[in-house]
Amino acid sequence: MASRRAHRLLVAACICALVALGLMTWQLFDPRVVPVIVAMSIGQVLGTASFAAYVLVIIADFRAHRRAERDSRKVR
Amino acid sequence: MVSAIILIAYLVLRPPLVRATKLWLLLGLGILPIGAAFAGNVQGFEATKERKFCGSCHVMSLHEQDSDDPSSRSLASRHARNAMFGDENCYVCHADYGMFGTIVTKAGGMRHVWMNLTAYRGVTLAGAQRTIRLREPWKMNGNCMQCHSTKADLWLRVPDHTAALDDVREGRIGCASAGCHGLAHPFFGAH
Repeated sequence: MASRRAHRLLVAACICALVALGLMTWQLFDPRVVPVIVAMSIGQVLGTASFAAYVLVIIADFRAHRRAERDSRKVR
Repeated sequence: MVSAIILIAYLVLRPPLVRATKLWLLLGLGILPIGAAFAGNVQGFEATKERKFCGSCHVMSLHEQDSDDPSSRSLASRHARNAMFGDENCYVCHADYGMFGTIVTKAGGMRHVWMNLTAYRGVTLAGAQRTIRLREPWKMNGNCMQCHSTKADLWLRVPDHTAALDDVREGRIGCASAGCHGLAHPFFGAH
C-alpha cells in the first residue's frame, strides 16, 4: 500500500475512532435511549472499522517491508 | 481521553509510519478504544435494564406509570415494589432466563426499537393497547418460576396450584392470566 494511501486511511481511521469515542462517552454520561442505541450500534461499527483500517495498514506495511528486503537481497 | 489525545496528535502532526507511530496508534485505535467500548457496553446493558429506559418509548408509558404508582394493585406494580425487582422490574420479568438469556433479550430489544421506529412511531396509546401483545406468552411462566419455583410446600398447599401443576410448569396455563393471578398489565388488554 502506497505511503500516502496508508496515511489517508489512518487519518480516516483516527476520525472514525474519535467519533466512536465521542458516541461512547455521550452514552456514559447520558444513558437514555438514543445515546445508548447510537453508541452501541454506530459507535461500535465506527470503532471496529477504524481498528480494522489500522490492522490493514500495518499488514500492508509489513508486507511491503518484506518485499523490499527480498528485492534488496536479490540485487546483492 | 488518552486515546483521543493520541488520535488528535496523529491528525495534527502526521508523523511518518515508523514503529513508534504504529505502537502509539495501536494504543489509540486499538487497546484504549476497546477498553472504552467494553466499559460503554457494560454501562449500556445496565442502562437498558432500567424501567425508565423501557418507558421512554411512548407506547410503554402506561406500563411505566403503573409500575411507578404505589397504589396500583396490578401484578407488575406489586412486583416493582419488591426490592428484588425495583427499578429493573420490566427486565427481571421479561428477560429470557438461561445461559444466553441476556443476549437473547438484548437481541429482542433491538427488534422492539425497530418496531417502535417503524410500525409504532405514530401509533396512539389506544392503538398500542389494542395491538401490542407478547410474542411468546407461553414463556412467561418460566420467568415467574425463577422465583416461584412451584416446588415449595407453601406453594403446593394451594389446591389450585396442585390441580394445574403440569399445565403451569409447561406454560399451558399462565400464572398471570385472568382466572389465576390476574393480568400483569390489566390496562393493556389480554396478554
